[in-house]
Amino acid sequence: MDALVRLAFYCFAASSIALAGSAVCYLLFAFGWVRDRQPALAGAGASVGGPAVSLGIGAMAESFGRFATMLAWFSVLFQGLSIALRSVAAGRLPLSNMYEFSKTFIFLIVLVYLLFERWYGVRQVGTVVLPIAVGMALYVWSLPVSMREVDPLIPALQNPPLLTLHVSLAILAYATFAVSFAAAVLYLAADGRRIGWLPSPALLDDLAYRAVTVGFPAMTLVLILGSVWAHRAWGTYWSWDPKETASLFTWLIYGVYLHSRSLRGWRGRRSAVVLLIGFGAVLFTYFGNYIFGGLHAYGGV
Amino acid sequence: MAQASLAHSVPSRPPLEVAVDRVWRFLCSVRAAIWEIAFLAVLVLVGTLRGSSVPRWIADHVPFTEDLVVRWYAWDVFVSLPFMGILTLLAVAIAICTANRAPGIWTSISRPTVATTQGFLRNAESSARLTSERPRQELAADLARMMRAERYRVLTEERNGETHLYADRFRWGKLGTFPFHLALILVLVGGVVGARWGFRETDFIVPEGVTRELGHETGVSIRVDDFSEVYDELGVAKEYRSDLTILREEDVVSTGSITVNNPLTFGDTTIYQSGFGQAVRLQVADQSGALILDESLPLGPYTAKTNPDAPAAVLDIPPAGVQLTVIAPDANPANQPELDQLRLRSGQMYLQVRPVNGSSPLAGVEESVIRQGETVALGDLAVTFVREKRFTVLQVARNPGIPIFIAASLLLVGGLAVSFYFPHRRIRGIVAAAPDGTVATLAPMARRDWSAQKVFGQVIDQIGQALPVAVERTDREAAERAEPGRTSAQTAVGLEPIA
Ligand code: HEM
Repeated sequence: MDALVRLAFYCFAASSIALAGSAVCYLLFAFGWVRDRQPALAGAGASVGGPAVSLGIGAMAESFGRFATMLAWFSVLFQGLSIALRSVAAGRLPLSNMYEFSKTFIFLIVLVYLLFERWYGVRQVGTVVLPIAVGMALYVWSLPVSMREVDPLIPALQNPPLLTLHVSLAILAYATFAVSFAAAVLYLAADGRRIGWLPSPALLDDLAYRAVTVGFPAMTLVLILGSVWAHRAWGTYWSWDPKETASLFTWLIYGVYLHSRSLRGWRGRRSAVVLLIGFGAVLFTYFGNYIFGGLHAYGGV
Repeated sequence: MAQASLAHSVPSRPPLEVAVDRVWRFLCSVRAAIWEIAFLAVLVLVGTLRGSSVPRWIADHVPFTEDLVVRWYAWDVFVSLPFMGILTLLAVAIAICTANRAPGIWTSISRPTVATTQGFLRNAESSARLTSERPRQELAADLARMMRAERYRVLTEERNGETHLYADRFRWGKLGTFPFHLALILVLVGGVVGARWGFRETDFIVPEGVTRELGHETGVSIRVDDFSEVYDELGVAKEYRSDLTILREEDVVSTGSITVNNPLTFGDTTIYQSGFGQAVRLQVADQSGALILDESLPLGPYTAKTNPDAPAAVLDIPPAGVQLTVIAPDANPANQPELDQLRLRSGQMYLQVRPVNGSSPLAGVEESVIRQGETVALGDLAVTFVREKRFTVLQVARNPGIPIFIAASLLLVGGLAVSFYFPHRRIRGIVAAAPDGTVATLAPMARRDWSAQKVFGQVIDQIGQALPVAVERTDREAAERAEPGRTSAQTAVGLEPIA
């Protein structure tokens, strides 16, 4: 292995450790608040005061939360470094097989989530997002060791600008959809029940929607750029290839979601359920290579 | 008479009108659109899985599904009637829905209703009450000035001694939905135009040095002037290139080199490099020595029965009443050597002629192995292996739908960006005199819209800091979460999220 590629791999390992630590801290953060059954204190907790015991748990949960966020930033940093080093070693962005783009997926899923965390000022969504990222990391670790090498590209993939845009937008879309999935899960948990430590359902609904307003246009561009690329490489912009139609399926589900939010009886619970289906479609599209033949069959699986 | 018409003063509408009305409402309904899109999604999923091993798995694991799965694999969803039907329905629904919504949206942009009611403000999920000692008109003017500074358009109206206020931002954002939805129709139009007026030749094979007519009423021919390939150290083709000349009658229309991913376009026709193979130039002379064939034969569309790795060609020569078979050496000698019964060396060709019917002068099968430049007699034919060549496999496609797609793509992305990133924000309010000054009540039109309520909170904060007013803000949801059972009127809390 080339020294740079090896260094990239070590950075990835460091990032995985930070990621796992962060996920654990997010869960401890959640667990701490759930134990602390003083919902009214959940917001003002530490500053307003209250029964000493619950304040203790609440404050501890808060520290775990801050630590979780910090570790998540570390994992983004190391993952970013790993991707950068690998790009230098390969002379292109590492986006050409499952190993490479799963790493980028982890990077973006955590980064996108952290931006939303800052934007909305709530970190509960991380208790769902980070475990998903850890799941992806476990998947990457389970891939054959040979994929850690940098391989030359086959002729059909030699189109860096389009390849880079098409694939990185797909990963961005999937990352934002993962965040909206997490918000939808918490929405369904929070809706109708009073779980003090969760943010308001309205906030969760809004966060999920915001994530989709990034992911849906990105996914639209993925389909468009994919057809431009197919037009150049295969002579037809759309060939009803399973990977194409799986993406179209995903896109349509989010189309259903966007409409569902404009209906009085659908916004909230039902649209959250559509988001769960949507993320199922994302996973289906992402791992579809394992069950599809067709033109997208290369890429390392 | 007059009485009779009076009796029918509430006439039941004619059934046709009722039916048209129902259809129209169905096509305008977002609820119906949801089910239509969901149905389309299900069809797409069924078609996607057809290209996978999932149905097979189902047949293997779920009893009595074998028949269904066989039919599933046989059903080409994307050209099926239900698929075409739902696409048509969606296109029509989008058109009708657009026509139906456009006037209302246009009015709400250009001439919004300014007046509101205390009831609306009271029932809003979040609202703000600003109290001031200043006279009503002055406070109203200050508020309008502040909101304009925040880039809101502010309209006011005097009513019964109160000032009603309407402020909005990004009103054009509401229009983004039209280009987006119309672009969806355009995508379908592009598909229809491409299918109706375009063509696609996937295996357009041309040997080096040969000119071939494209057909499809184009009047165009393609000549391959040269073909070359570059291999890497592992023997994998890294790049291959065809130098082409496009001719119309005798005139050169265009020339260029193509590689994979770098096609050549002339007019709305594009030529792609898709593969290559071996070709052989043969000359066949009859008894009298007259040349009855001089052609470059592409090898490879066929493979030899005796060795599937060996490229082959089969050609009928009607004047001689024979069929000629040519087999080249094994393209990959390491692969299944036991199958290679011919054992041809590089530079050799196996030739065989066989009679095609009873009238053939040839009695039986004649065969031979020759090298480049040699001539061999097979029956009464003299066959010369002139030289080895390459052929290129091109894909030629003409798609007049492409410009429509490009336009649609721009509208799709642009429309979405406008809809999502410039959301229409609206605030209503009433400024009224109170016993000790003036009260302004403001509320956003933001039912179940957290972001819009937050933005409203920020605007109110700005106002509270800049004007000498007492601000009391109400957020019903936050209030209910903090102290269930108490209504918003009793609790004033900030909009800061619980962290
Ligand atoms: C495949 C078909 C369709 C797709 C992918 C689709 C997608 C979308 C998307 C992404 C939005 C949100 C962005 C925007 O406001 O422009 C939207 C909004 C909307 N769509 Fe569609 N649409 C489809 C068909 C339809 C049809 C058939 C109708 C009419 C019956 C319709 C009616 C609407 C309406 C009324 C809105 C605005 C909702 C709101 O107030 O936020 N759509 N659609």
